[in-house]
Amino acid sequence: MKIVVLVKEVPDMESKFKIIGDAKIDESQIAFKMNDFDEYAVEAALQLKEKFGGEVVILSSGPDRVTKEVRQAFAMGADWGIHVNDPQIDEGDSYVVAGALVKAIESLGGVDLVMTGVQAEDDQAGLTGVFVADMMSIAHCTNVVKIEVGGDQKSLTVNRELEGGLNEVLEMAMPVVLTIQSGINQPRYPTLPGIMKAKKKRLDLKKAADLGISALGADGSKTKFHKMFFPVSEHKAEIIQGDAKTAAKTLVDKLRNEAKVI
Amino acid sequence: MARILVIAEQRDGKLSEATIELCKAAKEIASGLGATPAAAVFYKDDSIAKEVAKYIPEVFAVVDAKLGAYDADFYTQAVKAVVEAQDVKGVLIPHSYDGVDYAGKAALAIGAGIVSNCNKAVVEGGAVVFTRNTYNGKIQEQKSVKTDKFVATFEKGAYDKEAAGGAGSVTAVAVSLGDSRRKIKEVIATMAGSVDISQAKIVVSGGRGTKEKDKYNDVIVNLAKKLGGEYAASRPVVDAGWTDAARQVGQSGKTVAPVLYLAAGISGAIQHVAGMKGSQCIVAINKDPEAPIFNIATYGIVGDLFEVIPAMMEALG
Repeated sequence: MKIVVLVKEVPDMESKFKIIGDAKIDESQIAFKMNDFDEYAVEAALQLKEKFGGEVVILSSGPDRVTKEVRQAFAMGADWGIHVNDPQIDEGDSYVVAGALVKAIESLGGVDLVMTGVQAEDDQAGLTGVFVADMMSIAHCTNVVKIEVGGDQKSLTVNRELEGGLNEVLEMAMPVVLTIQSGINQPRYPTLPGIMKAKKKRLDLKKAADLGISALGADGSKTKFHKMFFPVSEHKAEIIQGDAKTAAKTLVDKLRNEAKVI
Repeated sequence: MARILVIAEQRDGKLSEATIELCKAAKEIASGLGATPAAAVFYKDDSIAKEVAKYIPEVFAVVDAKLGAYDADFYTQAVKAVVEAQDVKGVLIPHSYDGVDYAGKAALAIGAGIVSNCNKAVVEGGAVVFTRNTYNGKIQEQKSVKTDKFVATFEKGAYDKEAAGGAGSVTAVAVSLGDSRRKIKEVIATMAGSVDISQAKIVVSGGRGTKEKDKYNDVIVNLAKKLGGEYAASRPVVDAGWTDAARQVGQSGKTVAPVLYLAAGISGAIQHVAGMKGSQCIVAINKDPEAPIFNIATYGIVGDLFEVIPAMMEALG
């Protein structure tokens, strides 16, 4: 089974965010990591490979530093990867990035499965996986929380998460794109031998021109970015001051005598 | 006149609240653009279309036996058919499990740009500018589309529900649906466990900040017991297996509205907030002063929950 996993690098959401010129975050203040949802996708792909054989290829688009996340996936057990590194793609929207990823996937000459996280923690758009499937003219399923491979290894039964703890159980023929929801598995930690091996694994570098990508940057995008800002809440909590002990005491007092809820 | 078209959503024949919220969004956007608000309903009969007509003046009903349950391929085909048959400028879709599943496809099918997961839309100089959450709700951004038509998905609660009462028209649109590449076998309930946290008057909920299973039990479970309430969790805690899925609060779990909801180590992502924002009194304990949970809490303590909760236990006596 040939599986491609799309991995995105995102800021650690507990970073202290600063906005520069209403337009971008100050990346010098940020620690980067693999998108959580993509980590579940890598693990799901590795589990399928362990059961059915084949290979797991990591595909990531982004600047030089994303090699760290690709190597992390290698250390978990992925076989090799493609790093699409072109600022003209990074400047584009989900449509541009998905188009670039599709070209890179097509360069592999046929895959059985494409897997990625249900969304990126930074953009929270949930578009890339769906776009990739549509652009490749193959079926997809989002919010996947369970995957079973059919006896013929050509079909899948997947559970799609719905509201309120429901799952829709679907049958699909491969190739398909699956966007993976958190909690589908417990992603493994890279082992020390895994980390050593990861350093030597093949990582192909591609520019937009190598892949023949025409839709690039802001021009190739279907959306236009205006600005970013910190949300202004109309209702802010009453923050109880003091050290932990004082604050806890005040809180208990307020819950008893002001809110009267305990 | 061009239309702003809501795509209705249903499960087991029940119209979703998000659809009714979007009827209001369509009216606001249409009024700013000099367009008219409308909705499209895809179902096995016209019962839901008639219901949606109480909320919006014009409804297009695509009726087909294949549309009893949501399907990505069928919905994409139906959106394309209605948009091509009618003068549609913008398409509004709930940012729900189903909406996320097909909105991107529908946008490509009609050659439109899409802005997803929006919470607001304003018309500026003839263009619709959408506001949306990014970076786990810490930052908001504004975007528009460069294409002639647009698709936008909206998070639940972005617009208020209006009361039913209108008498809109229902027009049948004939669509010849092709095949779907997915086959639905069944819908199953997965939340194991007999506890019903939605009945509790006090809910103490722990998130990623509780760090590990033993610590979660130590602080969250013990405080819940002390207060005579139930313990609960946000998604990462359930994903990690520290407690059962039946105790998960949020969009993918339970909705609760207790007298007191105490959230410890929970950042307050929109999916979690959707499941607890109706609580009477909300207490947030988090070491990150910028955590969005403080925007909806009644009382907040910025601090280490492993210091604050034991101190609360002591103060409770």
